[in-house]
Amino acid sequence: MPKPSDLLQGTLDLLILKTIARKPLHGWGIAKRIQTLSGDTLSVGQGSLYPALHRLENQGWICAEWEESDLGRPAKVYSLTSEGRKQLERELRSWNRLSSAVHLLIQNA
Amino acid sequence: MRAIRIIRRRMHSFVHHSRAEWEMQREIEMHIQQLTREGLGAGMTEAEARTAALREFGSIEQIKDECRDTRRVRWMQDFVQDLRYGVRMLRESPGFTAVALLTLALGIGANTAIFSVVDAVLLRALPYPDPDQLVLMSNVPEKQPNALLGISYRDFTAYREHNQVFSEMAGNTFHNLTLTGAGEPSIVNTADVTPEIFSVLGAAPLAGRLLLPEDGKPGAAAVAVISEDLWRSRFGSDPNVVGHSINLDMRPFTVIGILPASFRYPDGAPHQDVWISVLQDPLFGPRASQPGVRLLGVIARLKPGVSVSKGQAEMGAMGTRFAQEYPEDTGFGIRLRPYREAVVGNLRFALLVLLTAVGLVLLMACANVANLLLSRATSRGREIAVRIALGATRTRILRQLLTESALLGGLGGLAGVCLAVCMIRILQPFLPPEVARIGSIQVGGPVLVFALALSLAASLAFGLAPALIATPSNLQANIKEGGERTGQRGGRHLRNILAIAEIALALMLLVGGGLLIRSFALVTSVNPGFDPERVIRAEVSLPQFEYRTPQQWRAFADELRTRLHAQTGFGECALAAPLPMDRQGQASFNFTIVGNPPLPPGKTNTANYATVSPDYFRVMRIPLLRGRFFSEHDSPSNPNVAIISQTLARVYFANEEPIGRQMRFGFPPNSDVMREIVGVVGDVRDVALSQEPGPAMYVPFSQAPLYGGEVVVRSSLNASSVAAGIRQAVYSIDKDLPVTDIESFPDAIGQSVSRERFRTLLLGSFSGIALALAAIGIFGVISYSASQRRHEIGIRVAMGAQRRDVLLLILGEGVKLALVGVAAGTGFAFLLTRWIASLLYNVSARDPLTFCSVTALLLGVVVIACYVPARRAMRVDPMVALRYQ
Repeated sequence: MPKPSDLLQGTLDLLILKTIARKPLHGWGIAKRIQTLSGDTLSVGQGSLYPALHRLENQGWICAEWEESDLGRPAKVYSLTSEGRKQLERELRSWNRLSSAVHLLIQNA
Repeated sequence: MRAIRIIRRRMHSFVHHSRAEWEMQREIEMHIQQLTREGLGAGMTEAEARTAALREFGSIEQIKDECRDTRRVRWMQDFVQDLRYGVRMLRESPGFTAVALLTLALGIGANTAIFSVVDAVLLRALPYPDPDQLVLMSNVPEKQPNALLGISYRDFTAYREHNQVFSEMAGNTFHNLTLTGAGEPSIVNTADVTPEIFSVLGAAPLAGRLLLPEDGKPGAAAVAVISEDLWRSRFGSDPNVVGHSINLDMRPFTVIGILPASFRYPDGAPHQDVWISVLQDPLFGPRASQPGVRLLGVIARLKPGVSVSKGQAEMGAMGTRFAQEYPEDTGFGIRLRPYREAVVGNLRFALLVLLTAVGLVLLMACANVANLLLSRATSRGREIAVRIALGATRTRILRQLLTESALLGGLGGLAGVCLAVCMIRILQPFLPPEVARIGSIQVGGPVLVFALALSLAASLAFGLAPALIATPSNLQANIKEGGERTGQRGGRHLRNILAIAEIALALMLLVGGGLLIRSFALVTSVNPGFDPERVIRAEVSLPQFEYRTPQQWRAFADELRTRLHAQTGFGECALAAPLPMDRQGQASFNFTIVGNPPLPPGKTNTANYATVSPDYFRVMRIPLLRGRFFSEHDSPSNPNVAIISQTLARVYFANEEPIGRQMRFGFPPNSDVMREIVGVVGDVRDVALSQEPGPAMYVPFSQAPLYGGEVVVRSSLNASSVAAGIRQAVYSIDKDLPVTDIESFPDAIGQSVSRERFRTLLLGSFSGIALALAAIGIFGVISYSASQRRHEIGIRVAMGAQRRDVLLLILGEGVKLALVGVAAGTGFAFLLTRWIASLLYNVSARDPLTFCSVTALLLGVVVIACYVPARRAMRVDPMVALRYQ
């Protein structure tokens, strides 16, 4: 059973799932991509990235293969499993609910 | 799907633990290289870039640890880690490990071995379907409610026809017949049965068929079922044996089937080779129709749902009715007993005594190991305190300690099972025959389970206490005080109590073992009244078909004696029936003394009876006290004579001269023959070594011949040439006569005390084990305490204490514990030994000599066990000891 995720952890999971949904990536690539795509606003520390990746892998949402990579040698490349894809949809829905709720609150308060 | 993936993943990370670690390491390493490369790109030097990367990455180990946590196989890895750690701890202190394992192996091994015997004898089901429905039925005379007699054939038939409680009933009796017709003549144990026996016991033939109801009718053809053993040994496993003819006592029987070797009825009795209808037996057949001949043992199967007491009620009522109807049944009742009880009844008590002893040994073993672990856990207090300070939880520490002791228990259990296998192999030859016959004893499934459960329970029992003491809540004090004092007060108390308990248990076992050993020594050193050394005995019995008359028996005996004397090296030989300690038992007859007033009605004088050749007393070295031995002149044509034993003379001719007096007695039907007493000889222990000799009377063989007898030869030749000589002598007279039961007399006597020897051996070795365990236990406690008191001893020596004072200090501590233990043990032993009083011969259950000598032995061993640590303490250098803490 996944642990009840607080906002931050839930967000990190969402970011990771979303990032590799387009294309399988290794850890370094995921960190870089999150940084780039968020316009350098979000930076994921290694201290939380790897435990999160391993946790998602152990929960069966993502799986990993050692593949030749752009780094010039085999790297551990993570991709979404079919269950992961469903999980991503769930996470997206809940994120949308949450962010629109927050948005509403900020606007109307 | 996902669940499967998760499980597979976790199995993977557990099984391929090192691979997962390696992958993680590589993944992180790559990330750091990537960071370094970025730094290089920004113009840093290689070293700078690497340092910056490492700094940015943060604590690698912490990240790894967090990743590991996500695998959720932590507990399994912890377990493996604890196990590895435990193995390392065990290897680091080989002395401790050896002692603990030895202790456990002894405790568990002895338990498993005895449990195997108990399992084979008491627990394993009798090899019949629904064995608890089987009952034995006997006639009981009202005047002797403990005498169980057989039932007459006519009554059996009536009971079988009219009862409502049994689904089937069968009768059996046993007879030795001479088998001829295939190979050498031999005596075969023959079961005379009614055909229903096979359906009562649910037997199926290996080949052919078993007896059918028609085979049991009067006038049926003579047919026989043979045992698998006989089929193999005698007929060479000939597949065509069914249909062959064999001769039993010179009468032809057709073999109709073979019984498998697994059919062992009657359990706990000699194996039967041939099964025939009781009506076909040469001896019993003609007498079966006579009323009042109670020859059949009856075994019956209760109908489902009928209890033994209900069966007893109905059969008892029928018995009462029969007693009124038939004059010969007057005064007889009916008794039912569960078959199982009849088979194991007399063994149960001895086995329970042994099981108790074994349980005590196991308790001691556990106390010992607990003590050892306790001492160690106490000295590991600091290590544990540091672990707790570093964040280990109390449960985690408990788990580690429990894993360690479970490891010890497991290894001990394994060693114990190995030991048990060896012990059973060693014990097998010492098993009393009735145990050995009941079933094969092996360390099989249930026994293994027992050993496993035992070692697990033991390891938990002794693992828990140290684990609780070693995890004290007051951390700070432990670290500050150097840890060694951790839980000392509680731990020391517990250890002392354990040591005292061990001493007490050991004393109880030693007293029990000591009493049995003393009793056994008394039994075996008892003078049997004759000299069995270098005497060989053998049995010759004459088939009654060929040798019908007393004249023939006498002629055979005379001829045999002549031929035996003619054998070279057979200096002395004689013939007798029966011999002392004969397996067939002793014959006992009523007698009256001519000239004495008649006895009041209902009172009789009885004495054991033997018919012997003239040389018998000389060969057996039975001393002549008065009068003369028999001679060749005491033939049928001369007056009948008798020799009486010392006891008979003392009891019945108190102040009179027995020589010249006359007695009336004899082997039925000649029970009223007048014989003149010509001599008095020494007493002989004829029933068993442990039984006081009773009155005995002897008659010359030629005046009271029997169909066969036993040969005794005193010779300096070796046993096998004597046996060959006896066979040759018999064979030269009649080549169809078998010679059986050839053995040396000392061996035969050994057989008669095999039961005593077995339990003495077992209880003796248990007391030995207990003594060793107690020594180990007190040694452990005192060594530990002495090492803890180094500081104190250092101060004492510095203050002027002599080495002797130190020695006495340490010894005193051990002896004090031992004395408390001895006091408690003596008390319990006093209460317990009366349970084994019935197993003792000529020794009181509270024999002061045994109590005193085992106490002295135990105290001596305690002093020796304490002397080793005391000597070490004596050598303490005060400077070193004071600096030590």
